[in-house]
Amino acid sequence: MAHSRKYLDPVFLSTLGNMDLVARCAVEGFFAGLHPSPFHGFSVEYSDHREYHAGDELKFVDWKVFGRSDKLYIKQFQQETNTTAYILLDSSKSMSFSGDGGVSKMDYGSYLAAALSYLMLSQSDSTALILFADRVTKHIPPRSKRTHLNIILTALQYNRPAGQTNLAGVLHTIAETTKRRGIVILISDLLDDEADIFKGLAHLKFLKHDVIVFHTMDHQELNLDYEGLIQFEDLESKVRMQTFPQSLREGYRHRVAEFLDNIEKTTGNSGIDYCLLDTSEPLDRALVAYLAKRKRMM
Amino acid sequence: MSFTEWIFLLGGLAVAGPLIAHLLAKPRFRRVPFTMLRFLRTGQVESRSRRNLRDLMILLLRCAIVVLIAMLFARPLLHVRFKPGGTRSVYYLGLDNSMSMAYSDGGGSYFDRMSESAVDYIRSSKDDALFNICAVASGDWMQSLSKDQALAEVKALKIEPGSANIADFLSGLSRAGRMEYLDDETSVLVLSDFTPNTLRQFVNIAEPAVVDRIDYKPIVSSEPANNAAVVDARVVGIADRRLTINAVVVNYGLVEQNRRLTAETEAGQSNPIDVSLSAGQRRIYQVQIEVDAAGRQQSFLPVELSLSEGDGLRQDDTFYLAVSIPGYEEVNVLLAGERLNDMFLLKTAMDTLSRTDSYDTLRIKQVLIDDLEPSDLSWADVVVCSSITDRLGDLASNLEDFMKAGGRFVCFVTETAAPETAKQLWQRDILAALPGQCVRERTYMQPKPCDSRAEGVDHIAARSLSNYRVDRILLKGFLECEQHPDARLLWQLQNGFGFVYLKRHGSGTSILVNTSVDDSLGSLTKSNASVAFCRYLLGESNQVGEHCFACNERVMLPVGDSGIASAGRRQFWVETCDGKSRRAAAADSFLLVPDPGGIGWVKTLGKPAIYAGVNLPPGETDMTGPDVAELDGVMSRVFATGAEKDVSEAGVLRDKKNRPLWKLFVWVLILLILVEPAVANRMKR
Repeated sequence: MAHSRKYLDPVFLSTLGNMDLVARCAVEGFFAGLHPSPFHGFSVEYSDHREYHAGDELKFVDWKVFGRSDKLYIKQFQQETNTTAYILLDSSKSMSFSGDGGVSKMDYGSYLAAALSYLMLSQSDSTALILFADRVTKHIPPRSKRTHLNIILTALQYNRPAGQTNLAGVLHTIAETTKRRGIVILISDLLDDEADIFKGLAHLKFLKHDVIVFHTMDHQELNLDYEGLIQFEDLESKVRMQTFPQSLREGYRHRVAEFLDNIEKTTGNSGIDYCLLDTSEPLDRALVAYLAKRKRMM
Repeated sequence: MSFTEWIFLLGGLAVAGPLIAHLLAKPRFRRVPFTMLRFLRTGQVESRSRRNLRDLMILLLRCAIVVLIAMLFARPLLHVRFKPGGTRSVYYLGLDNSMSMAYSDGGGSYFDRMSESAVDYIRSSKDDALFNICAVASGDWMQSLSKDQALAEVKALKIEPGSANIADFLSGLSRAGRMEYLDDETSVLVLSDFTPNTLRQFVNIAEPAVVDRIDYKPIVSSEPANNAAVVDARVVGIADRRLTINAVVVNYGLVEQNRRLTAETEAGQSNPIDVSLSAGQRRIYQVQIEVDAAGRQQSFLPVELSLSEGDGLRQDDTFYLAVSIPGYEEVNVLLAGERLNDMFLLKTAMDTLSRTDSYDTLRIKQVLIDDLEPSDLSWADVVVCSSITDRLGDLASNLEDFMKAGGRFVCFVTETAAPETAKQLWQRDILAALPGQCVRERTYMQPKPCDSRAEGVDHIAARSLSNYRVDRILLKGFLECEQHPDARLLWQLQNGFGFVYLKRHGSGTSILVNTSVDDSLGSLTKSNASVAFCRYLLGESNQVGEHCFACNERVMLPVGDSGIASAGRRQFWVETCDGKSRRAAAADSFLLVPDPGGIGWVKTLGKPAIYAGVNLPPGETDMTGPDVAELDGVMSRVFATGAEKDVSEAGVLRDKKNRPLWKLFVWVLILLILVEPAVANRMKR
């Protein structure tokens, strides 16, 4: 598992550059630690054989092959049920923040979106990608073809953070424009009016979408570990503030914790999966959250 | 409040430094992009105000520190108003009970007259007054005495054999004035003969004592001073069993002295020598006294040099001088080498050593080792062999006898050492170490011997060798030596191998020197350190010595390393001048006597007795009377009285008294210096 997590390390992924590779590395790295895979055998269409592992159900053993080769093989089947996933990636200027000069929230969110897309398309889910800031800047409609991944990855690769966040407006827009219900995956730093955000999410939930919120936060945003005299400049509004962070740290952490608690409680009450991601942590938490949601749907 | 050194207040202008720094310093902010400013804004107002407060507080603290330092240098004084009717009279009496006060003329002794004056002074004071009496020779303070107690103490006062210690008296006076009797009216009385020695101490006082009234009275004779003293004596030497001593006699008075000087020991006394000195004259007289023949052991001879009677002070007419007489006069050294020129450098060094005054006379004889005969060993006190050859094996039993009889066997080892003979000598306990394989490795000695205090070698020479930087002398090789179980390693090479080993055998000593392999008995004998090295190897030398101390010095009895080692303890009992037994600690081959108990003899209890003479400090009994004008000037400078204070400070505060404030200021300053970083750090949070 330790080896596989290498492919989930955002810093490592940032060195790859190529989005396709990023997505594959992340997902393969994630699966390398999961045995047996729960995402085969939901169909009657034969897909593949694989070697029998202790714990596999005997009903899936191919006895014909056993008769011929004296070896135990498990029959695998093509998945039939699929769903539509809408990946909403916040591309506002605040997402370009990178506290310690490492991976920015935008990059982290992009890796996550790429990995999820790869995973979904490999499971034959239709996947849509929506990039937004104060409005939707890019909308790639849902497709389940494998080649669709290239379109998504290209869009992610050329995406540049810009503009202010208008998350609530965007959520309402998406809620109004999506016909088919599915999984809505929101990757954002949620730096907008909280009440408006909740209204937007509630709108999606009202339309029977399954909503997962990946709240991407930088380590510095969570902890404010700066030292010395600092002039902060807001990435979106360009407002400046001179301060001595040590003196504000305790209060800041308290307020951020309140903010996060509020989001978690409100989303929890609405049946929305909420996952706070620190950009210094591996991506597997996000993938686990998605897969858990996917499993519940099956 | 006023300041004694107000000029230092100008130093307070340095407060401009932190002020300017505060005004000019602008905080340098690092620019950082951020996203969640709305979470910072709430705390920002609080932080800015707190930072401003912190800056202001730190500025104030730093300014206060600068100002306090300036004020401290200006020596602040606080004017304290007298409580009307609430003041007491406190008297400080400095009574000189030094030995010079024992001087007696037709009207009695100085000391008796001083006591009478003190008694009169006490009787004339107020009944509720407090008295503090200091016997300035012994340094004893009798404090907070009533009138009757003070009278009793003055009458009980005795003369001490020593000098007056004025600094102790004044420091005690200042301390008591500051701490206990701050609001009281203080009067000081000093009664002394104000000899030049005492007056010099007053002159050297830097800090004046603040008092309300000062009285002093020189106790002097109306007649010309009549006193001569033996102030010093030095041993010239012993020749033909006659000890010659130079004695310094001084006429401290104004009357011509015609006296007789005699040296006296337990065995007898010298012929008296006529002493004739005019007023103030100082002369050296030589006296000779017969002494017994020197034995094998060092002995101590107490000699009293006395002037015949005839002046006002008898205590300084005798000088106590202990003379140590060496056990040996000559040391026979046998140098045995494989070749005649083997020992050339060593012999040269020994000749030089022998010619120095501070060492025994060495009679040196050179032979070849192969020609060594038992008779040579019986002649020699010290045998030095350049190497170990088979001939030494033949003489092993003779060598053993030689060492048991107290002989000293010094053996150098080079690579030509005969291994079988070496083993034979080692097994017979003659060699301190068994030489083994030769190592041709260049090495240096340790800078200092590992055991410079070892018995059997001269530790002064060991220290001297360190000063010669023997650690810079390159040795070209050495032998791997196995140390004898009873031997001690005195010196190491820097690579850890042994260089000098020592072993006791009977009453004799065996030393093995692991020299280099360059056929020259080692580079040491070629170096400047060769003489010191010879002395180190040959051991301590007994020379005629003198042992006398002033009674205000620490008395040290030269007991020697061997004495301490043989006694096997670190503390000894000695008899001091007052006839009491006191404990003395051993340190560096001396016994340290903490209190000689007067003048006379200090000696060890037990045999052989070791003596030291204790005498009056030089100049103590100089009876030259003080010049009145000079005395007035000195006393007015040493004692700052109330009137002078008022004039020097404010000029009008006659009902006020000054309290020095520097201690308070120091405490406040320390507090501020401690608080400043704490405040700075605390406010950062």
